[in-house]
Amino acid sequence: MKAELSPRMQVFLYGLLCVLLVPFVFPTWWMVTSSVKPISDIFAFPPQLVPESYDWTTYSKVFELQPFVKQYWNSAYIAALVTVGTMVVSSMAGYAFARIRFPFANTIFMVVLLGLLIPSEVTIVPLFQMFLKAGMVNTHWPLILVPIFGAPSVFATFVMRQFFIALPAELEEAARVDGLGRFKIFRKIALPLARPALASVAIFTFLHSWNLYLEPIVFLSSADKFTLPQALTQYTDAYGGPMWNIQLAAATLTALPVLIVFIIAQKQFVEGLAHTGLKG
Amino acid sequence: MAVAQQTARPEGRSSSSFWTVARRDSLAGFLFIAPQLIGITLFVLIPLCLVFWYSLHEWNVLANTFTYTGATNYQMLLEDTNLPSVLGATAIFSAGLVIFNLSLALLLAVLLNQKLAGITIFRTLFFSPVVVSLVAWTIVWGFLLQKNGGINGVLLVFGIEGPNWLREPVTAMISVIVVQVFKNVGLNMILFLAALQGVPNELYEAARIDGAPRFKQFRRITLPLISPTILLTSIITIVGSLQVFAQIAVLTQGGPGLTTTVLVYYLYQQAFQFHLFGYGSTLSIVLFAIVAVLTFAQWQMRKRIVFYES
Amino acid sequence: MAEVTLSNVRKSYGAVDIIHGIDLGITDGEFVVLVGPSGCGKSTLLRMIAGLETITGGEVKIGGRVVNDLDPKDRDIAMVFQNYALYPHMTVATNMGFSLEHRGGSKAEIAERVKWAADILGLAPLLDRYPRQLSGGQRQRVAMGRAIVRDPKVFLFDEPLSNLDAKLRVVMRGEIKSLHQRLKTTTIYVTHDQVEAMTMADKIVVLNGGRVEQIGAPLDLYDRPANQFVAGFIGSPSMNFLTGTITSEGFTAPGVMLPIPETALGHMGRKAVYGIRPEHFALDETGVPAEIVLVEPMGSETQVTMKLGETLVTGVFRERVSLSPGATIRMWPELNNIHLFAADDGQRLN
Repeated sequence: MKAELSPRMQVFLYGLLCVLLVPFVFPTWWMVTSSVKPISDIFAFPPQLVPESYDWTTYSKVFELQPFVKQYWNSAYIAALVTVGTMVVSSMAGYAFARIRFPFANTIFMVVLLGLLIPSEVTIVPLFQMFLKAGMVNTHWPLILVPIFGAPSVFATFVMRQFFIALPAELEEAARVDGLGRFKIFRKIALPLARPALASVAIFTFLHSWNLYLEPIVFLSSADKFTLPQALTQYTDAYGGPMWNIQLAAATLTALPVLIVFIIAQKQFVEGLAHTGLKG
Repeated sequence: MAVAQQTARPEGRSSSSFWTVARRDSLAGFLFIAPQLIGITLFVLIPLCLVFWYSLHEWNVLANTFTYTGATNYQMLLEDTNLPSVLGATAIFSAGLVIFNLSLALLLAVLLNQKLAGITIFRTLFFSPVVVSLVAWTIVWGFLLQKNGGINGVLLVFGIEGPNWLREPVTAMISVIVVQVFKNVGLNMILFLAALQGVPNELYEAARIDGAPRFKQFRRITLPLISPTILLTSIITIVGSLQVFAQIAVLTQGGPGLTTTVLVYYLYQQAFQFHLFGYGSTLSIVLFAIVAVLTFAQWQMRKRIVFYES
Repeated sequence: MAEVTLSNVRKSYGAVDIIHGIDLGITDGEFVVLVGPSGCGKSTLLRMIAGLETITGGEVKIGGRVVNDLDPKDRDIAMVFQNYALYPHMTVATNMGFSLEHRGGSKAEIAERVKWAADILGLAPLLDRYPRQLSGGQRQRVAMGRAIVRDPKVFLFDEPLSNLDAKLRVVMRGEIKSLHQRLKTTTIYVTHDQVEAMTMADKIVVLNGGRVEQIGAPLDLYDRPANQFVAGFIGSPSMNFLTGTITSEGFTAPGVMLPIPETALGHMGRKAVYGIRPEHFALDETGVPAEIVLVEPMGSETQVTMKLGETLVTGVFRERVSLSPGATIRMWPELNNIHLFAADDGQRLN
């Protein structure tokens, strides 16, 4: 497929790519620009691709109507904890499944893989009851514990296992001859070499936690406990209709930081994901 | 050297007869997997059993009663007049999503695999919605799809009066599918791109010498060689499509009528809005069964679809 | 520095026996090469000595101590792996000093040992590089440096040259040998390449199917192979074999009668295999005739494939043979370089 392309073909391809790009890029542009338009302009006809006048008060209203800083912090610290926790749990389990011979390893791995098969929605009812009994409803514990130890981390374990399987066994044997025990081999040899796999696990896990929606609305009930996705939908008027410009301002504040980090580190993001062992 | 020989090495722990290498490895193995195993037991296996247990009970939250009712909830399932349309909506949504997602992902991957200057910029932009917060992305689309929103505004510039996208059955379903595809197609696109780049260039050169036209090269060489990736992405995408919740909740709340009420959304309503935990659990079993059957079927099919496995 | 003793060492995976009871004594400072075709168990045996594989039965002693249940780290051995197993995330110096870090050496001591080893191997200018920045030969040297830095009792080499190109292999062969002559550490070296075995070893152990076929000095193995397997394995191009019967007139093979040495006279009438190395044919106008099939001039010598009776054999001659295929060549096998093996069990007869 990598044949040289004629100039006409190149122009055609660029054109096609630009057209295809519209639904991917335009919504983000529309979100940012509409968030600074006065309410009277956001449904204006013809649509204003660039705002004609600016109203920055939407952003102050984001913080007035809800404890938005608190909610931002909730999302950020939960995602950070879940990311770090998942990296620890999944790298250890993935290493053991790939590298250590222990009784029932294959059976246990199959049981763990069941977590990939069971959408967390299936178990949401009993999980709610369990956390209710434990007095953890309307706390962040369910949003932290379940992703780190439960089904969502199984995918990460799988990715780490695929990586460790490909790691040459000789390296570990050399380390054994050099005098390292299991834990030191893991910490000093396997883990430092697993950095690319860990990075993609971190990205996946962070995005998953950052986007979680069903779980927060099931488990959390007070505004100062809310996470961002849940908070965004709460900017409604007295009739339950969305206050569009404020929602969009809050959405912009939620989306932009991650987007900027992504654009800076896009190479690591994209290539990390491509090499998660997902290739089969 | 003589000195080194004289300093007797203290006997390692290893020399104790019980803790052989194999035993120490077994212990290490169990310690390494312990957090995950305990977590899976606590947050997957036990809840899975409980779901089944709950589905055999009627649970009245207000009266705080929990009575064994046997198969009553399953009876209710069969008699639930909403269920056919819920399952129908789920099927249409999943099928539409998978077909649209995989074909768009493959198209984009093929385009991005061309020798063009600045192609990584396009790759970055196509991928960018993946990192945009899901609810933020959905809110913007909800805003764009309003009767007087951006999309109809643009259409009106060309003299077309657009529908009220989210309030009419057919367009509502199309909207939720399309919004979801644009959000996540970047993931599959990257996986396909990696697979395409894994096809050795010599094969194309050989095909060109054999005189195979481009389309034939794609069908006879590219597709078979990337078939493992196609299978894998289709499994991931189907299972993922059955879990779509936020988009429906934000865009249509399952409406109009029940046209976009997919199983997960229906489950959520029954359990957490109507507090029918028993019936909600029964619906969970249905969801689990669907996922299990689909995954199993696709796994079986891999012998027929996948021409080549490394 | 130590001697290594294996007594009745066995290895099995479940019901499958890989190593069938091997006895081997290696004296202090000896360079022993384990050689054999792939799958003969030589690597497994080495890894059992290293402690990377468990020992199913028998005893391995290093320096008089039974090490069966010891970890590799407690056996005081160092190993050079086939793919070198250099830690990709550490510099050459860290790679070499890594084992010392875990044996409680001070930083200064470690640096000193690393410098000592680097000087011996000419690695001093490369100490700050990472493995990926090194050539194949340099990596090989670092792997050796990592082994010698600790001054272990035994060096183990697992096919260390198999990833190098032919020219570099010859160079590194020489380096390993001169390193051994300098350090005089007991060395066990695994290879499938009989040329490596011949050129490097004090003692060769030929393994086949998990059993020892023969143990001996390289030239002993070449001159008096104990059985047909060793005869065919050692030497290149390999020995010619003709099947037939020992009679009073000589050896009758299909279509040809060959002379036999007096040592074979005790086996009159026996079915046997007649072995003769390609370099042990002498051109002679009075000799047995053979039809030339292929002539390959190598410059210093000429390799000729020919039909001796009904059997295809190879001959290597110092003379330049200018005959073309189809022509007849006459020669004698050298009488004192003839090997006779029993047809049934392949054991040496003469």
